[in-house]
Amino acid sequence: MTSTETVITLKIDGKDCAGRASETILDVARENGFPIPTLCHYAGLHNIGACRLCIVEVKGTTKLLPACVTRIGEGMDVTTRSQRLDQHRRTIVELLLTERNHVCSVCVSNGHCELQALAMAMGVTHVHLPYRFPALKVDASHPRFVQDDNRCVLCARCVRICHEIEAAHTWDISGRGIEARTITDFDDAWGDSQTCTSCGKCVHVCPTGALTEKGRSVAEMVKRRQALPYLKTFQEQRS
Amino acid sequence: VGTAQMHDMLARITRGDGLAEDMSLLQDLADVMKSTSLCGLGQSSPNPVLTTMRYFKDEYLAHIHDKRCPAGSCPIHTSKPSLEEAVR
Repeated sequence: MTSTETVITLKIDGKDCAGRASETILDVARENGFPIPTLCHYAGLHNIGACRLCIVEVKGTTKLLPACVTRIGEGMDVTTRSQRLDQHRRTIVELLLTERNHVCSVCVSNGHCELQALAMAMGVTHVHLPYRFPALKVDASHPRFVQDDNRCVLCARCVRICHEIEAAHTWDISGRGIEARTITDFDDAWGDSQTCTSCGKCVHVCPTGALTEKGRSVAEMVKRRQALPYLKTFQEQRS
Repeated sequence: VGTAQMHDMLARITRGDGLAEDMSLLQDLADVMKSTSLCGLGQSSPNPVLTTMRYFKDEYLAHIHDKRCPAGSCPIHTSKPSLEEAVR
């Protein structure tokens, strides 16, 4: 970041806003108090635009653009909330709920889950599409943590924090589309991982109950993220 | 998930198990996929569904309401008879 960076002005929901050229629509919108829902975004990690919840309308294009990976442009006219966007975001949350076995009532993260909070905030009272109920594994081979594929939303926060911050790159995603899963090393058991440092960062950035501490019962898993804002500072210093 | 859900829904319709609301669900799902997908596959895969729904809507409705396939190519015809038909 240099002081000579150009300042760009744009409109967000009718309000005149300004930001640096390197900033994304999401950065500027949040600075100006416009809440855009996100799931895969995590301050300090690179954005990948995976969850598609931060979609916004930009005047001049019929497509919806993901705010977290779209840089601001001079004279942009952005809409962060509309009936169409609300409807699409709700469908996306519904799709996420149908993809895996998200059973809140028996989940260790019940009440502390970002997916659950999003669904509640968006008023997802019904899921219109049929649940897929895939048979997925639970890996409890690690002495301190548990990985439950049934709760994973494939936000890849664990993959990114492990690679970008811890630099171990234990996590990765295997398969494509509906077959995609998070894996440790070469799809080995987590407990047998040669690269995992057991730092636990992945567990605490995970938005749902997919990565949890061992020994937690229903609704007991509260993610501790107090130390993680340092990551953002660290990230900014590096870039 | 979108394409998987779409495939399941179409398979259900071709089996003759389609429900009346499947048409509007399919339309909504296709719209969401088309406008929000990250990759070209997600953006373009709803196209055949959207266009067939526009130009062959009567065939979709025949599958869902009359449980028959006008083109004679869907598994509806090979599936085992319903309970009603079996006892008749």
